[in-house]
Amino acid sequence: MAKNLGLENRSIPTRILFESLSTLDQLIKGIIPEKEIPALRIGVEKVSSALKRKLEKAREGLPIIGYHFAIPGEYLSCFDCVPICLEGTGYYLATTLLNGVEKYYDIMGNWGHPFHTCTAQKGPMGMSLDGLFQFDAILAPTAPCDNTCASYPFFKYQKNFPLIIADMPFRKNENSYKYFAEQIKNSLIQVGNVIGQEPDFEKMKKHIEIENQVQQIRLEIFELIKAIPSPISNIYNAISAGTFILISGTPENLSFYKEMLEITKYRYEKKQHHGGEEKIRSIWPYMVTYFDMSLCEWLDRELGMSVLFDIFNYNFSKPINTNSDLDTMFYDMAKKTMEWPMVKQSTDFYYSTLEECIRMAKDFSADCFIFTQSIGCKQFGSFPQLLREALKDELGIPMLLIEFDVGDKRFTSLKVIKDKIKMFAQTLM
Amino acid sequence: MNLKDDPFLKISNSILNPHITEWQKYNKKIIGHYCTYIPEELLYAADLFPFRIRATGHEDTTLADTYMVRFTCSFVRASLDMALRGIYDFLDALLVCNSCDHSRRMFELFDLKVFRRKGFTKQVPRFYIAMPHVITDEGFEWYKREIEELKENLEENFIKRSITDEDLRSSIEIYNKNRALLRKIHELRIIDAPKLTGTEALQISMANASVPKGIANNELRRIFNFLKEKEGIKTEAKRIMIIGSEVDDINFIKLIEDSGAILVSDFLCFGTRNILDDVKLENRNTLLDSIIKRVYYRTSCPRMMDDHIRRLEFLKNEIKNAQIEGVILQRINNCDLYGCENMMLVHELKELNIPILNVDREFYQADTTRLQTRIEAFIEMIS
Ligand code: SF4
Ligand code: SF4
Repeated sequence: MAKNLGLENRSIPTRILFESLSTLDQLIKGIIPEKEIPALRIGVEKVSSALKRKLEKAREGLPIIGYHFAIPGEYLSCFDCVPICLEGTGYYLATTLLNGVEKYYDIMGNWGHPFHTCTAQKGPMGMSLDGLFQFDAILAPTAPCDNTCASYPFFKYQKNFPLIIADMPFRKNENSYKYFAEQIKNSLIQVGNVIGQEPDFEKMKKHIEIENQVQQIRLEIFELIKAIPSPISNIYNAISAGTFILISGTPENLSFYKEMLEITKYRYEKKQHHGGEEKIRSIWPYMVTYFDMSLCEWLDRELGMSVLFDIFNYNFSKPINTNSDLDTMFYDMAKKTMEWPMVKQSTDFYYSTLEECIRMAKDFSADCFIFTQSIGCKQFGSFPQLLREALKDELGIPMLLIEFDVGDKRFTSLKVIKDKIKMFAQTLM
Repeated sequence: MNLKDDPFLKISNSILNPHITEWQKYNKKIIGHYCTYIPEELLYAADLFPFRIRATGHEDTTLADTYMVRFTCSFVRASLDMALRGIYDFLDALLVCNSCDHSRRMFELFDLKVFRRKGFTKQVPRFYIAMPHVITDEGFEWYKREIEELKENLEENFIKRSITDEDLRSSIEIYNKNRALLRKIHELRIIDAPKLTGTEALQISMANASVPKGIANNELRRIFNFLKEKEGIKTEAKRIMIIGSEVDDINFIKLIEDSGAILVSDFLCFGTRNILDDVKLENRNTLLDSIIKRVYYRTSCPRMMDDHIRRLEFLKNEIKNAQIEGVILQRINNCDLYGCENMMLVHELKELNIPILNVDREFYQADTTRLQTRIEAFIEMIS
């Protein structure tokens, strides 16, 4: 048993996350009335269940493979392994732990990681420096941002974790998809070489098929959000981001979306709004606060402001064809990955994102945009004003810009964020 | 002759210079760019003058701040500000590549806000190339395709004919000569009694990036001949190497040298890093392939995610060869690429037992006193 626990300790943050989510799960079940905040209730339960399985696999001694959030986790199901999303783990811990993961940001800061780098990487880097992660291999792309390219070498050169890189072109066309398809395939083969396993692509197909279904359901939900009032709760966005980054390709992920679809349909038919009354419909082209998700509930209930979707919830691609040859499948996998949140915007010029935002604002009857600009995220650093002008010129709707850090409340506190939104909301009503 | 008043070095002080006017007098075109990861030889072969966009001396970012949030690199912001004020209106074309998240977005900002601003009627073709972030054979093939496409676009937009082997060969010769001359000057920098200061060296490379290379070569030859004969600088100043983000303003270098140091080497993209590798003409390669190979496989910058060790090895050797007594790692705030690279170097260079200063700064000299104090203390600390 002690030996097994030792093996599990190769990914202590996953264990902490599992334990904190399990506690949260019990709390929710014990305190919150049964039908309240279903996205949170169901999401926490499903993520805990999938993490529990990961920990069991870790105890069996299977290799721990870290992956960057821009690699869909189901791609690693071609191995008998424990796939751990670095950024997803860090940000979910920022949400579930009382003081977030600021301690690890500080560890990394003291080690020299600049203050302006992204906490998505800073957290897991600090945890690794503190010896909490022991990866057998890490798989990372070269997108979406400088932070990815600049931070990941730390794992290789300072922690000696084998780092396998899939180069993603900063351009979208047929050549890009073919190039990146090769990169994904080769990088999986390389991961296999490092951990001494042959990738089993047949096995991977099954998990890809699960995600094909998930995508279909997410699209259905997305369509329903066009209704007034929005039938989803704001926190659905944050939970959904977590599930598909942390547990994609698992049955739990599919069942989360299935249940959410039923609830969304029900609310749609009954014209129910999670907060009671919908007064403002907002689109968040970037993220909500991960250091404190209570913002979502506050917006719903106090302001009657719906967050129709954030960056994790407007990315769709066609299903991956698993019935044809492997090349076709990898080609579709490349296309899907290049539509992944942040990657989608970063591997293309701004024009398509601008057009998309205008189109979505119309289709979803948005009253405003709220752009949360994270200090780390330089790839978006010159986008907000272009978007603001486009929204004003084309639709006459306003945009609020809030500078913050997704994971670190010390940068802009929740109070300041709420005050800004409150004042902005007053100008809308 | 005195380098201090040399007209060629003075070109580095401003953006415009007489060679730009002269070049354009004959209806020849100038293409602006931000990065050393572009195939300059190809551009020159298309009769274009590749001008490295700088923001030298520009301290105001008011106009650009509207479009770039404060978490972005103040060098890029300053250059956009200049463009919004019309200072870069002389450009006839723009070539952007995905060097870093800040500079690659200049494609959209120039496109939407500079070239389409009220009253600006000039048609300025814009080009973009996507560089891989790793150095691999497949990456090379990708990059090659990008450059071949760029070549076709240049032919179509500018010379209306194919770029010939002759064009390429003569361009390669001029550029190889240029780098060779700069290397020879660099050799005079790292010797016991350096023949030039770091400030002068930076001025030379900035001026070199601001005039057509044919002209630059004559000037460099003249300067080299002068330096060769000149007596070395006998000084007690500490021999320093500087590494990191964009430096295109001598004030920062002067600040270091005025604190009792002499910069005898650097690892900057406006400096040594760009002159180390030549285009190698090998029979099995086409001329264009040879150009692309140089750019792709040359001594990299931190944008190349898998090449840290090669950079580290270069630095270790250079520190030894140039008898460096202290290393200054610097980054412009918000530059994540150099921020992280410098973070690792601080730990890795420790094994050389060499004093290291890791500083952050703004592109313009906004925090001179703080910087000066830190630098002076560092120089003093070097025994
Ligand atoms: S939030 Fe921005 S900086 Fe951070 S990982 Fe995502 S794209 Fe990169
Ligand atoms: S200094 Fe850094 S952020 Fe600025 S342009 Fe250079 S690489 Fe980009």
